[in-house]
Amino acid sequence: MSGGGLPARIAVSRWAWRLFRREWRRQVLVLALLAVAVAVTVFGLGAAGSALPPGAAQFGDADYLLVLRGAGPALQDEITAARQAYPAAEVIDHQNIAVPGSATPIDLRDQSPDGPLGRPMLRLDAGRYPDGPGEVAVTARTAGLFHLAVGAVWRQNGGSRTVVGLVENPNNLLDAFALVAPGQIGSLDHVSVLVRATAAQFQSAQRPAGAEVQFRGNAGADPTFIVLVLATVGLLFVGLLAAAGFAVLAQRRLRALGMLTAIGARHRHLRLVMLANGAVVGGIAALAGGAAGLAAWLLLAPRLETVVQHRIDRFDLPWPQLTATVGLATVTAVAAAWWPARAVARVPVVAALSARPPRPRPAHRFAVLGAVLLAAGLTLLVFSGPDRAAIGAGGIAATAAGVLLLAPLLVAALAAVARACPVAVRIALRDLARYRARSGAALAAITMATGIAAAIIVGAGAAQAAAPGGGNLPDDELIVWLTPGRFEGPVPQFDTAQLARARSTVASIATAVHGGAPLPLIGVVSPDARIESIDGGATGGKPVAALGIPHRSGRGVEYHGNEMIPLLVAGPEILQRYGIPAASIDATTDVLTSHTDLSAYQLVGAGRQRESWRPTVQHIDRLPAHTSDPTALITEHGMRALGLTPAPVGWLVTAARPLTPAQVGKAEEAARVSGLDLAVETRPPAADLARLRTGAAAIGAAVALGVIAMSVGLIRSEAGRDLHTLAANGAGRGTRRRLTTATAGALALLGAILGTAGAYAALIAWYHRDLHALTGVPVGHLTGLVAGLPLLAAAAAWLLAGREPPGLARSPLE
Amino acid sequence: MSVLEMRAVGKVYGQGPSEVVALADVDLSVGPGTMVAVMGPSGSGKSTLLTIAGSLEAPSSGEVLVGGTGLTGMTRDELARLRRRSIGYVFQDFNLLPGLTAVENVALPLELDGVRARRARQSALEALDRLGLAERAGHFPDQLSGGERQRVAIARAVVGDRRLLLADEPTGALDSVTGETVMRLVLAACKQGLAAVVVTHDAQLASWADRVVFLRDGRVIDRTMPPPGPESLLGADR
Repeated sequence: MSGGGLPARIAVSRWAWRLFRREWRRQVLVLALLAVAVAVTVFGLGAAGSALPPGAAQFGDADYLLVLRGAGPALQDEITAARQAYPAAEVIDHQNIAVPGSATPIDLRDQSPDGPLGRPMLRLDAGRYPDGPGEVAVTARTAGLFHLAVGAVWRQNGGSRTVVGLVENPNNLLDAFALVAPGQIGSLDHVSVLVRATAAQFQSAQRPAGAEVQFRGNAGADPTFIVLVLATVGLLFVGLLAAAGFAVLAQRRLRALGMLTAIGARHRHLRLVMLANGAVVGGIAALAGGAAGLAAWLLLAPRLETVVQHRIDRFDLPWPQLTATVGLATVTAVAAAWWPARAVARVPVVAALSARPPRPRPAHRFAVLGAVLLAAGLTLLVFSGPDRAAIGAGGIAATAAGVLLLAPLLVAALAAVARACPVAVRIALRDLARYRARSGAALAAITMATGIAAAIIVGAGAAQAAAPGGGNLPDDELIVWLTPGRFEGPVPQFDTAQLARARSTVASIATAVHGGAPLPLIGVVSPDARIESIDGGATGGKPVAALGIPHRSGRGVEYHGNEMIPLLVAGPEILQRYGIPAASIDATTDVLTSHTDLSAYQLVGAGRQRESWRPTVQHIDRLPAHTSDPTALITEHGMRALGLTPAPVGWLVTAARPLTPAQVGKAEEAARVSGLDLAVETRPPAADLARLRTGAAAIGAAVALGVIAMSVGLIRSEAGRDLHTLAANGAGRGTRRRLTTATAGALALLGAILGTAGAYAALIAWYHRDLHALTGVPVGHLTGLVAGLPLLAAAAAWLLAGREPPGLARSPLE
Repeated sequence: MSVLEMRAVGKVYGQGPSEVVALADVDLSVGPGTMVAVMGPSGSGKSTLLTIAGSLEAPSSGEVLVGGTGLTGMTRDELARLRRRSIGYVFQDFNLLPGLTAVENVALPLELDGVRARRARQSALEALDRLGLAERAGHFPDQLSGGERQRVAIARAVVGDRRLLLADEPTGALDSVTGETVMRLVLAACKQGLAAVVVTHDAQLASWADRVVFLRDGRVIDRTMPPPGPESLLGADR
């Protein structure tokens, strides 16, 4: 029994448990930080699993969705063919209802609430479903737009319907529609056919030739990816926090552990003390954090519905991942305790008995490995993606490990700049380097906290800008189009008075949103084109040219609306707005664009003879990336080559801040009352980015402040003798305050800068194919994080430095 | 055979200009039942001598034998086992683990050596009983007085089959009466066959020893029998 065997391990574990029970107050900060990290991870897992729009929003219980376009007998033939191919299919008719003042129409659909496949797409909120002619149920947004309520009569397109109920698509609360009983739509715009079938069944059937096919599997990103990445980040954060906390704890117990060695304990016994403590702290924090996160989720999930815009089943959680996260959090805490345990076990006994911290290792020892890991992590992120979840998780883990290993080097660099500082700051910075085992781990945890916050702040905007379906405009822009058809189809030819009225309306909208001067958007039309009626009304105009991707089907060539790009004139105003010098445009250039490749596009709306036009394209980075923004500009050279002439299509208004729903409503109202059939396009309502960013910054800063408090307290208590020496030499309370303030401020500043830089590096790696998504820098929030955190840490340190808790300096020996 | 034998032991800290010679060519032999006091001014190497004797530090030169076994070449685990089984330490500032009761502190070296908890506790209780602390066995260190804590530390140092007791200023934090009580207990342990080395500044306490070794600048400058004085009367009680 030379090693002591089980009795020794029991004795050591018992002591560790007793220590925890006696000194749990000293560990309460670590415990709380870990519990918060686990709680946030658990809450995040619930949110991540529910954040993405469910496939049921569009598919119901179906696996495939066929969209049939066209009109008349041809459409009826296709519907019949679809029914024959898939007898169990559910057919839903659709008609677009124009909304005065808005470019986004309302969908009138004749879906049965008892449909075999579409049932998950409907929910009754009030009244009843329509069950006959002249009845309609509407969503809340539709009711708001047309000032409707249950019992009201809705006059539309010459007919009238009584509103009998309020409905919603529970899987997409942004789905603004009106519901009528099956067969009650006269004029169809398109038909959707829901099909439930295996891939083999679907492929073997003879479906209509012109049908657009959508697969449920492609309907949205896999939440597994988000859950896995979030769990990885959460556990890494738990690990870093635990490592920082346990490094502090190991130093506090140095004398006790030295004594244990003196009476014959082996190194493994010393490690066991720390590991047992890690298990206890990690276990309690994981359970408490898990319970708190779950409770928070159950309480707050209903509020999240307004953010993710679909109903959430609070108990539909990724339970296996949640359980695994709580278990792994304990394991992570134990693993995090291993490194400080190893370090403290290696301290010479005599040094441990005198509580002298171990001599810091050369900072460059692990820096090379850290740099390699950081580079590898970023490389993995470059090659990751929603379909490569493991690579993404590995990239995040390697990046975080790299930052952890580089942190001591950066702390050592602080000491190098200390020479020129006042004495208190000099001592503070050098102490950070002297006790870099603690300060390095703390810096890594602070970096991670601010990095997560910065990634959320920057990434939220980037994800929205890069989203293929929702990236029409930034959230602070709106476009007033001359027609609800936006830049497709005919645009009205206004006389001078009408044009002046339109300009006045746009100017009033710009003033209401505190925006700058509206930017006129000039399209191009063919002078020889014939005047077409707009929406069957009395107004007419020539069709405006745009770029679209041709799709060949049984009905000929079709262009999908979501792939259309406006083609605007590269006039002086638009070039000036985007900072493009006229001299930088080649004389032979036809089109300036931010798109990397236009070869798949064709000119649409300028006559058949121009469809085969192959323009000379010049790539311009400064042009925006959002799909309704001016992403493609035709030059004079291009217009001359095609014989096109300019025609106004609308105005771009940039607001001072992200637009609120009230501002959008007022803009649409102004367009409506102008009497010119103007249509306002804005970004579809989505999560409140500003609140999300502020919340992320606040939580990140709070966690970082906790870590700073933990580390600064220890570092300053370790350097207590220096304080006595300073006091003996005439230094007053102010010196102590400045010492602590400089320590906290330096850690916070370095962590905030590193975290923000790391977040940007990771996001650049992630969005390397579409860096435009990162061009909108949230300066206010990032400044708040990078400047606010150090200021807050310094202020708190200044206030608290006069009253150092006696427990910090007390040796755990009697 | 000597319980502790130090042969030409030297200890040097640092290198080059920062080199400090803590011990130089020290010879010391302590037999069973013998108490040796080590005296000297601050920085003379007293504590270094004790830590090297107790295998907490390795000498830069020379050889240390405990119970006839040389420490040179022993692995860390072998040294730890030696400390658990043969060497007991008493520190000036008690060094009891705050999370353990008095009896658990005393039983700790035995449990670390693999003795079952019940047996270790029994041995620890006997050790505490011998030191008059049986009724305080269930108290935590912060519920004990300074003298009681040092008695618990002595009990921990002598529990089991220890042969060598090393005490670094064991009375330094105690008043004179309590300090005398503690020295009586150390002496009693020696009477039962233990070899003891006690570092002290106090000449009165050193007079309790069988031999006094004087150190200066890391070298032994004198070895004497204890001076005559009132303590010799106490010594006569032995």
